[in-house]
Amino acid sequence: MADIKISNLHKEFGVGDDKVVALENVNLEISGHVFVSIVGPSGCGKSTLLNILSGIETPTSGSLTITQAGAQAAPGYVFQAARLLPWRTVMDNLLFVQADKSSETRARCQKYLDMVQLGDMINIIRTSCQVVCSSASDWRARWRPMLIFMDEPFSHLDAITARSLRRELHSMWAATKKTIVFVTHDVGEAVELSNRILVFAQGGILKDDINVELDFPRDPSDEAVAVAKANVLKKFEELDLLAT
Amino acid sequence: MTAVMTESAQSSPQSPRRSTRRLPLALRVLRSPRLARVLFLPAVLIFWLISNKLIADSWGFDSSVLATPIEVWDFMYAEVTGDTVAPANLYQTFGISLRRLGLGFVISMTVGTTLGIGMGLSKAVNAFFHDWVMALLAMPALAWALFLSLILGFGDKGPVWAVVLAGIPFVIVNVREGVRSTPRDLFDMSTAFGVSPLKRIRHVLLPSLFPFLFAAARYALSIGWKGLVIIELFGGQDGAGWTFKFWYDAHRLHGVIGYSMFFVIFALVLENVVLEPISRRVFKWRPSLNQPDIVEEDMDVVKYPALADESLSDRDTIIQEKN
Ligand SMILES: Nc1ncnc2c1ncn2[C@@H]1O[C@H](COP(=O)(O)OP(=O)(O)O)[C@@H](O)[C@H]1O
Ligand SMILES: [Mg+2]
Repeated sequence: MADIKISNLHKEFGVGDDKVVALENVNLEISGHVFVSIVGPSGCGKSTLLNILSGIETPTSGSLTITQAGAQAAPGYVFQAARLLPWRTVMDNLLFVQADKSSETRARCQKYLDMVQLGDMINIIRTSCQVVCSSASDWRARWRPMLIFMDEPFSHLDAITARSLRRELHSMWAATKKTIVFVTHDVGEAVELSNRILVFAQGGILKDDINVELDFPRDPSDEAVAVAKANVLKKFEELDLLAT
Repeated sequence: MTAVMTESAQSSPQSPRRSTRRLPLALRVLRSPRLARVLFLPAVLIFWLISNKLIADSWGFDSSVLATPIEVWDFMYAEVTGDTVAPANLYQTFGISLRRLGLGFVISMTVGTTLGIGMGLSKAVNAFFHDWVMALLAMPALAWALFLSLILGFGDKGPVWAVVLAGIPFVIVNVREGVRSTPRDLFDMSTAFGVSPLKRIRHVLLPSLFPFLFAAARYALSIGWKGLVIIELFGGQDGAGWTFKFWYDAHRLHGVIGYSMFFVIFALVLENVVLEPISRRVFKWRPSLNQPDIVEEDMDVVKYPALADESLSDRDTIIQEKN
């Protein structure tokens, strides 16, 4: 569990005519054992927000604190595109970001590789690595932190694989006390997984903050889930987001 | 019979190959690339003998000036067994040259890598050295040879400097490109996960630099070697280039040809025994690196005439100026 406090967060790229506002005056608090989804059209600053939260980018202005039991949190980050070292095996890629290389760590890595059906492929090198990893491998690779950022982790997957991984993700989130911030452009996915959906609009403006109060597990074919999804989409229409 | 043949042709998915198999044996042998390769050597020998004869007949001078394949063979055999009339035998000669090449290579790699990293990281450093590197790239090895032997005399210094000056611009340009193309996103990933800076340099920066360093080493060796031979030839007292000149001055064509062959053999050994195995090991993870590519990039620089104007590209790296 972690606590995130963002106030007046502003991010611009470039100067002069090239200036792009990626995030405009975002105020936000996320805390406890929650699953928060961020949805919005592409280019609305979703990845930028995660990059700032994880320390890769620095904000132009505003402040943020990320704490975990009173101390600075060390989040895990699943990037939008797989970021793997092509000269290392799959297993060594996972170990690269681990603090220790104990057999316990290895076993944990192996467990998550098995979960995404990469378990037998530990020693393969780049070719096959890229074929499989670019789609599936990145997200469960780093599964130790109590705060996790995920940037469209399932968007490259086929519907069936994505569905089963969504289920795995949910049960892991439910079984642990992790805080997850999950970027997606799929409203159905957001409704299925999250307690809370943040809606961003072009220009990096936080438009809406929706609580989804439905029991888990949520089956996408379940009527209540379908209704919730329709309601979120309706809000999108009201906010005029679907047109963009 | 026809019916049978048609049927078998239809049922076989590899019918085109089967049809060649029905060619008469003699024709098939004649068409095979292996035979063509084997035939190359006798063809060269025959051409050699015929042209010797033609030259001797039409100009009517003493045909003993020309070398026959047998003479060249005997010369090379004698050199290999250490029997020579030159001041130093083959092994001493190549030993001297290799020592110079090695020393020059180490210097150009060390200095070149340092400068290349500086130029890749800083625009100011790049601007400072840029024109000098371009000047070095444009400088012919012959100019270095004359210049260095004038100011440094006949010792080891001139040849070593020739190796350094010939190779270093290629090292600098390659390493600079390598630094410029380090994967930003992988660095960001490591930062996000709190990987230590040392580990980042070791496991992200160095592996991504390796292809460029390797290309740099190849150039430094092959171009350095050519520069070395030239300076030894013009301003040396010993070494492979000087001995080559020795046979030339002695009007021994078989010595000149034989020594050229030794140069070729040296280049082939360096490529196949040293560089290629290393490249294969280091780049095991790169699927695109297949053998034909490796063989292509041998000690031959003429293949890259665009070198001086910086638009050179090769398998390992792209040496290109991005202004
Ligand atoms: N490093 C960068 N330099 C310049 N502009 C950037 C950079 N990163 C993102 N942007 C711009 O910021 C905006 C938000 O980008 P991003 O956060 O990637 O959007 P999303 O993930 O929601 O699709 C886009 O207009 C994008 O072009
Ligand atoms: Mg994005």
